[in-house]
This record gives sequence, C-alpha cells and structure tokens, in this order.
Amino acid sequence: MSDAARSANTTTITYEDRTVRHFLAASMFWGIIGLFVGVLAATQLSWWQMNGKFLEWITFGLIQSEGLAFITYGRIRPLHTNAVIFAFVGNMIFACVYYSTQRLCKCRTASTLLSRIHFWGWQAIIAGAAITLPAGLTRGKEYAELIWPLNIAVVLIWVVFGANFFWTLARRNERSLYVSLWFYIATIVTVALLYIVNHLSIPTSLTHSYPIFGGVQDALVQWWYGHNAVAFFLTTPILGIMYYFVPKAAQRPVYSYRLSIIHFWALVFIYIWAGPHHLLNTSLPRWLQLLGMLFSLMLWAPSWAGMLNGLLTLRGAWDRLRTDPVIKFLAVSITFYGMATFEGPLLSIRAVNALSHYTDWTVGHVHSATLGWNGFMIAGVFYWLAPRLWGTKKLWSVNMANMHFWLGLVGILLYVSAMWIAGIMQGLMLSQTNPDGTTLKYEFVETLLAIQFPYIMRSAGGAFYLVGFILCAVNLWMTARSGKAVDATAEVVVLERNKVDTMPARQAFLNDPVTYSVLAVVFMILWMMLPPHADKVALALTVILTVKAVITFKRDSQTWAGYFDRLIENYIPFTVLVFIAVAIGGMVQIIPSFFVNRAENMEERLQELYTPLELAGRDVYIAEGCYNCHSQMIRTLVPDVLRYGPRDDQGYSRIGESLYDFPHQWGSKRTGPDLAREGGALVPDSEVMRTGLRSNVWHFQHFVDPRQTSPGSNMPAYDFLFTKEADIKSLPGKIHVQRRLGVPYPAMTRDEIEQHALDHGMEIAQSLMAAEVFLPAEPDLRGDDLLRTLASSEGVALIAYMQKLGVYEEIDPEFRLDPTPLNPDTQRRAIRSRPPVPEETSAIETGR
Amino acid sequence: MSQEEPKITRAAYASKKGEIALREHEYDGIQEYDQLLPNWWLFIFFAFTFFFFAYWIIYYQFGLTRTDVERLEDRLAVINEAKAAALEELLANLDDDVLVTQLATDPEQLAVGHQVYTTHCLACHGADLHARISIGDGQFVNLPGRSLMDGEWEYGDTPMDIFRIINDGSPPGSSGFNGALMEAFGQRLPPTDIAAVTAYILRENAEQFDVPEISGP
Repeated sequence: MSDAARSANTTTITYEDRTVRHFLAASMFWGIIGLFVGVLAATQLSWWQMNGKFLEWITFGLIQSEGLAFITYGRIRPLHTNAVIFAFVGNMIFACVYYSTQRLCKCRTASTLLSRIHFWGWQAIIAGAAITLPAGLTRGKEYAELIWPLNIAVVLIWVVFGANFFWTLARRNERSLYVSLWFYIATIVTVALLYIVNHLSIPTSLTHSYPIFGGVQDALVQWWYGHNAVAFFLTTPILGIMYYFVPKAAQRPVYSYRLSIIHFWALVFIYIWAGPHHLLNTSLPRWLQLLGMLFSLMLWAPSWAGMLNGLLTLRGAWDRLRTDPVIKFLAVSITFYGMATFEGPLLSIRAVNALSHYTDWTVGHVHSATLGWNGFMIAGVFYWLAPRLWGTKKLWSVNMANMHFWLGLVGILLYVSAMWIAGIMQGLMLSQTNPDGTTLKYEFVETLLAIQFPYIMRSAGGAFYLVGFILCAVNLWMTARSGKAVDATAEVVVLERNKVDTMPARQAFLNDPVTYSVLAVVFMILWMMLPPHADKVALALTVILTVKAVITFKRDSQTWAGYFDRLIENYIPFTVLVFIAVAIGGMVQIIPSFFVNRAENMEERLQELYTPLELAGRDVYIAEGCYNCHSQMIRTLVPDVLRYGPRDDQGYSRIGESLYDFPHQWGSKRTGPDLAREGGALVPDSEVMRTGLRSNVWHFQHFVDPRQTSPGSNMPAYDFLFTKEADIKSLPGKIHVQRRLGVPYPAMTRDEIEQHALDHGMEIAQSLMAAEVFLPAEPDLRGDDLLRTLASSEGVALIAYMQKLGVYEEIDPEFRLDPTPLNPDTQRRAIRSRPPVPEETSAIETGR
Repeated sequence: MSQEEPKITRAAYASKKGEIALREHEYDGIQEYDQLLPNWWLFIFFAFTFFFFAYWIIYYQFGLTRTDVERLEDRLAVINEAKAAALEELLANLDDDVLVTQLATDPEQLAVGHQVYTTHCLACHGADLHARISIGDGQFVNLPGRSLMDGEWEYGDTPMDIFRIINDGSPPGSSGFNGALMEAFGQRLPPTDIAAVTAYILRENAEQFDVPEISGP
C-alpha cells in the first residue's frame, strides 16, 4: 500500500480503557474478599469455633453465639467459590477481554454504554450474591447457587457483554481474528449455553425455585455445567488472555500457529464431554462414566498444547525472569496450568478416582489450577497493565511484586501439598480394612482427625496467598495514584465494510474439512448409540472417513490451510462452527437421559416420595449447604458399601433412589460421612414418623452440639435451627411445582398439606420431649412452649428429612430394561450373559 | 529474516531447511511462528484417541470385562462368606461362661472392649454407661441409648443375649428405646471386637454377672 493510500484511510482512534480500569479494580476488590472468605472457611474445618463462636472471644462476650448462621461453612463455602470464580476471575476476564479485543480489532469497543451496563450490572449481581448466599438463599447446585432472579440478571448481563463483543468484532479494522479472539468467542457462546441449561428452574417464590432436572439427570447436567464452568470460565478465556499478554510481555512471537489451531479445536470439542468424570463409580450409567474418563484422558494433550504454546513463547525471554515480575508470574501460571491439566486426567481414571473422589485431593487439584493458573495470570497481567492504564513508566514497586510472587508461590505449594497429603491419607484410611479383611478399620471421624495437621497447613497456605494479593492491591493502587488514567490512542487503517466478513455460508460450511469432521463425529456417535451390528457399520464408516480425510488433507493441505485462513476472517461462520463443536458433547450425553430417566424405566428400587415436612426439611438441608460436606451416594465400591450400606437391603445407591430429588444431592466432597442410608422404616404405630440409623434424639443432640455425639467432629452447631420456624406455608406451592416436574404427589389441598406437616412435626417433637431434651441456648424454654417451638421448627423438619434418606420401594426384581438405542448399557446386556466369578476374587483382599 | 531471502511460509518446508517459519500477519505487534507439532505431543494425543476406541470396543462390542456391579457383588459375596465363617468360628467357643470368666477377666480383651466402646457406643450410651452426660448444676442431658448400668436388659439378660443384641442390633419389629434402634454392629465390626465389648460391659456390671476379680500377676 502506498503512503498516499494509507493516509487516505487512516484515522486515529482512542481506546475505551476506562472500563478496563473499572474491571481491574473490581477484580482486586472482590478478589481479596473472596480469598479472605476462603481462608475463613479453611479455618472452620480445623476449628469449629470459627463458625461464629470466635465472635464471642473477639467481642469479649458481647456477641454470644455457638455458631452464627450467616457464616457457617455450608453457607460461606458457596460464597467463596462464587466470589473467586465469578467476581475475582470474572472481572479480570472482562478487563482483559475489553483491553485486548480493542487492540486486536484495531477499533474502539462498539458501545461505551453497553460496557458501563456490563460493569455495573455485574457488580450488582456480585453484591446480590454476597447478600443472598450467607442468608441461606441458594439453589443447592455447586457454582450455580444463585437464586433465580440473579440467574436472569446474569444471563441479561452476559448478553450485553456478548452483544458488545460481537458488535466490536463486526466493526473491526483487522481482517483476520487472532487466536485470543477465538477463545473469547468460545467462552461467550459456551458459557451462555451452559449457564442457561443448568439454571432452568420453576420458581416457587421470589427467592426459591426447583431445577427442572432431577436425580441422575440433574447430576449429569450439573457436572456438565460444573466441569465446563472450569473449562469455559477458568480456562478458555484465560488461554485467550495468555495468547495476547504473554507474547506482548515477552516481546516474542507465539511459538506455533498450527499448534494454536489444533489446540483450540481439540479443546473446545473434547472438554464438553468430560463432565461425567465428576460422577465416576456412582449410579450414573456406565457408558457416561466411560465417556467422562476417556475424554478426560484425550484432553491431556490438547491442554498441554496450550501450556507449550505459552511456555515456548517465552523462549528467548527467560533472562527476564530475574528482573521482570510479570514474566515470573506468567511463567509460573502456565506451569501450574500444565500441572493441573495433567492431574485432571489422572484423577479421571476410575481406579484413581475411587480413592481421590470425595477427598481433599480434588480440592487441592482445583486450587493448583485456580491459585496457580488463574491467580498468577491475574497478577502477571495486572502488573503489566497497570503502568499502561495509568500512564506510568513502571510499577510503583517491583520489590513488592516480587514479594507477592514468593508469598503466593509458597502459599500455593503449602496448600496443594497439604491437600495431597490430606486427600490421599484420608482416602487410604477410609478403605483400610481390619486384618480380617471383612470390616473397616477406621470410623469416619478418625480419618478426619488424622488430617488435622494438613488442614492447618492449608489454612496457612491460603493466608500466605491472601497476603500476597493484598500486597498486589496496594501496589496497583499506588501505581494508579502515581500516574493518571490514560486512554491509549492508535493510528489505524480503516477497512471498507464490504471487504470484511465476506465469506458466503456455502463456502464456510460446505467444504472438505467441515464435511469430513462432522460426518466422522456423527458416525462415531452412532457407533456408540446404535444396537449391535449397526454400531459396527457406523464404526467402519468412522474409520473410513477418518482415513479418507487424512489422505485428502495430505493431498490438499494448501486448500485446507487456505480455508482456515479464510474462516478466521469471518467471525459469524467461525462462531457457528464453535457452537456446533461445543454443543455436540452435551447433546449426546444429556438427550438420552430425557428418555431413560423415568420411573417406569427404573430397575430394582424406586425412591419413596417425601412427605410435606420431609420436603421442607430437604429445603433446609439445601439452604444450609449440607451438600458441601455430605454426599448422598454410595458408590459401587467395596469400602463405600461396607461403610455406608453393609446390610443386604442397603448396598450401593441405585439410580432410582434419587429420581425425585430436585436438585440431586449426591455431593462432591465428604468432609463428613455419606448420608444416603441415614433413614429407615416407619416407627411402629406411626403413619409418618420414621427412625433410621439413628434416633430423633440423636439427631437433635447432634445438630445442637455435634461434638457431643461425635467427639472430634468439625461440623458447625445448628442449634439455631430449632428456634427458627420452618416454612410450612410455602409447601403447597412447592408441592404444586414438584407435581409439574413429574413427581407423582397425590392431590392434596392446601390445608391437608399444612396439617400433615404440622402433625408430623408434632410427633417428632413429642418423641424429643419424651427424652427430656432442652435447648442450652434457651434454658427457660420448657414444657409445652418448647414442644410447640420444636414441632414447627426447621430443625425438626430436617430430622424428618434425615429419617427419610434412602427409603425406597422395591420393584419386581426380575424387571430389566429391554435393550434400547441411546442406552448402550442395556445393549451390552443383550450381547453378554453374566460371566463366572474369576479366580482372583476368591481370595479376600485385605487392607493396604 | 532479511528481505532478500524468499519468504518461507510453510512450517514443513522451513523445518527441512532448519529454519522457523514466521507468519506474515501481525496482530497489534504480535507475530506467530508456525512450527511443527512435537512428535511426543502427537503421540500422546493419538494414543489416547486410540485408547478411547479400543476401550469402548472391548467393553461394549466384545463385553469382555465385568460390570462394576458384578465386580462389587462378587467381592461382597466373598466378604460376607468370610464374615459368617468368622462369626461361626467364634460362636463355637463362646458361651456365657467363657464371656464371664475368661474374656471379662482378661485385661487385654477389656482394653480392646473399652476402645470399641469409646468409638462406637459412647455417643448413645455415655462414657459412664449411664446414657446421659452431666452439664453441671446437677443437670443431665439424656442420650439416645438405654442405660447399661441399671441392671435391666430389655432383650435378655444373659451375657450371650448381650453379645447378640450388639451383633444383630434391635430385633426386627422392635420399637426401640424411645424410637432409637440399636445398629447391628456385626455388620461393621469383627466378631472378636463384639465379644470384647461385651466383656467390657460385663466387667462394668461385675456384680450382676458375678464376674471374678482380675487375678493380676
């Protein structure tokens, strides 16, 4: 282009960096709160007094409390996770996306107004979460706890963000999309999909709703979402950020463009399938477990490709590790990404998962990724951005940034190694048998007491990390104070609109690369789903298509490469293809559950319906976040069955036993024991009251003071539940919604429902009064007053729920589902009868 | 790269020449090399893709491995058999007399029994076996279990009756003590532990069961 032509089309633009500064500040503000809550929650696991009793000491007795409901572990653990994911990392993502997208598109963000709405809307949502979660308002699904009005707000704000982003792309003065933008596109599209599906709910009030999925289907959808929240909120946007900021900071070219391509497509396609690895060895159908495990293993290489492209881009800049804290943070961040994405596939192997699942190993794994990869990326990028956003030549204090680096690194290592020790030790202890090989050696609480030291080490690691980020905030603040906000300007060549995004749909979608990929994937899916013999044909076609694709690629590699170079010059077809790639995995896994997860398809056992009071108790269980520490899932593993379901009528959890659970409560971590078999039969002469593994009195005393019945327990005291009135009035509405969701409740009038709940509560309260119970915090509450208080309390409703857990009706033991498409496990039964017992099991496997 | 040399745009060609291709395009000053993928990386990627197909074929096409439930049930059957055998073996040599005169006078057995009691029984029957705990001012909190010190034995008062109630739990159809049912500890403890904890309870009730003094060395 000649100079004359250039000057004719060039113009000077000012980037909209104010939004970037806002998001940066918000990220630090919420980040420190989120990390602080994390440290508080960590200490609660070592010292139950941290659930509120400590307030008595620091206020010299002004506040008298065994436990403050608002800060009990079950309520603030969701606050911690939501704050660090959506506020700390979320705001950082937005800051970096707004910064880099403008520069990669050589144009100002399309709408400053939308940016403002995005910023303030997002902060309002976070503030809403910070109020509602400690108040016990929750949907009871991990990382999806926010109540439905906030869900709608999140979707609206996300649409604002997406609209602003794509509008900016449409106005870009850069023909081709850089790899960072691919990742941003994948993030925006996929998070929208995941979030909306996993938050589909029917409200029962302004603050409460039931998800439309229940039981195994809810578990499946939840972990499709949960796993991919990690993938598309904590990974892909951060990779996009890495692809922009690492070459910028290192001033080196990206290691390999073709690695970027392979890495991107493999990651977005495969990641989605891996969700079921959160449900290994549970009652989730085996074929889904296998997909979860096998796709997680396949994910290892694509993840490491991201690490390679990051670390190898730093080649030639390693000397700056000594002088530049930014490079230090980025290098360690990418290294932790590599570690975590190796550990992830490892933990997804069903045999490894049998040990690691429900233990702190998983917690450690998550934190090596979030503290290491996300946290250090945040620090590195913010230290690089601050001098540019506030027009100073350099950071306020490089020494302080170095201090942050070492504090943070030591903190992560302490944290992660503590969790390895705690997780592996507890996992081993839980499955250790006595010398006879037939009974378990340790009680649950013994395994908890054994990991107290690592727990303290973890709190220390977390505290180090928090202090590091406080230094970071100070440093960024002082950097900002020492300069003044500047919006960068750039000279850009304005592209004519009719020369950008010109690819016709036919060209974009009808060509060899797309056709071969789509057909091969379609036949692969048919191979998994079709009945015997038809599946082999599908497999053969998959192989033939793959071979044909490779041959064609070898021959026409220039054309294929040319096609992709053209594709990334057209953001709409690119986005459509990304959406197809991410939608496939979820569809294959979730759609069959609509046909399979029905009462008439259940084998062996079917859950008994909750009575109104039990349902009220279940909502208390969810509101208090009990699922954060207790699972309700006995896996198909010997130690699980021996510990939680040794009787013949107990055993492992069947899929039908949680069919009517909206949402499911299988849990993901056992800080306390599993509760799936806690309930039991009706008490003789009673029509509603049950007694299970433990009596009502035991439960009462355990909730009032867990350490009285279980010495060494770290559970918060829940005495406040017995003076808080249960929400009986809302039950008719809730049961109405459950009926709409397919729970076969008989027709009951409003009065019948309420009376049933009150009678049930009274019966339990009377059984407690017979044992002369009293509330230590309310010593004057006695006799009939106490009886009435208890009968209508949340605590008694919760006891009713406890006594119902795991109650089922037996189904005709001969009934087995016919082999059906979309259900590979039934098809497998058709080709294979039960094999003889092999030799190895005849010897008892004794403790390790 | 200097201007005179021909531009190398393809990585394969470039690596043959021992050079690294640098793509022409530049985004906000960021350039990209176009290097070949490392072979070890390709190996991992293809190996696990192959593993996916192979595993699925072995499991679903050939049905070669057992399902989880089959595996679990086979092992549980073995364990239950061994458990029953151990119980039978113990019962062959256990009666009221053995419990009272041999086990309840053996300090080692009593220590085991005390340990088992502390771990499994204390929560419902109390540290002093009275099924209550003192909270000062002469006030007590009642625990869910029965007192084991009141000389009353709801389900039979011979030492073997006590062994059985611990081993098998509350009899079927029993309404329990104020709704509280005894768990079948034979499910989770070896029979020898149950004998030991029975001995411990007998020792605590030495008078009622005529347990001889421990003849220490």
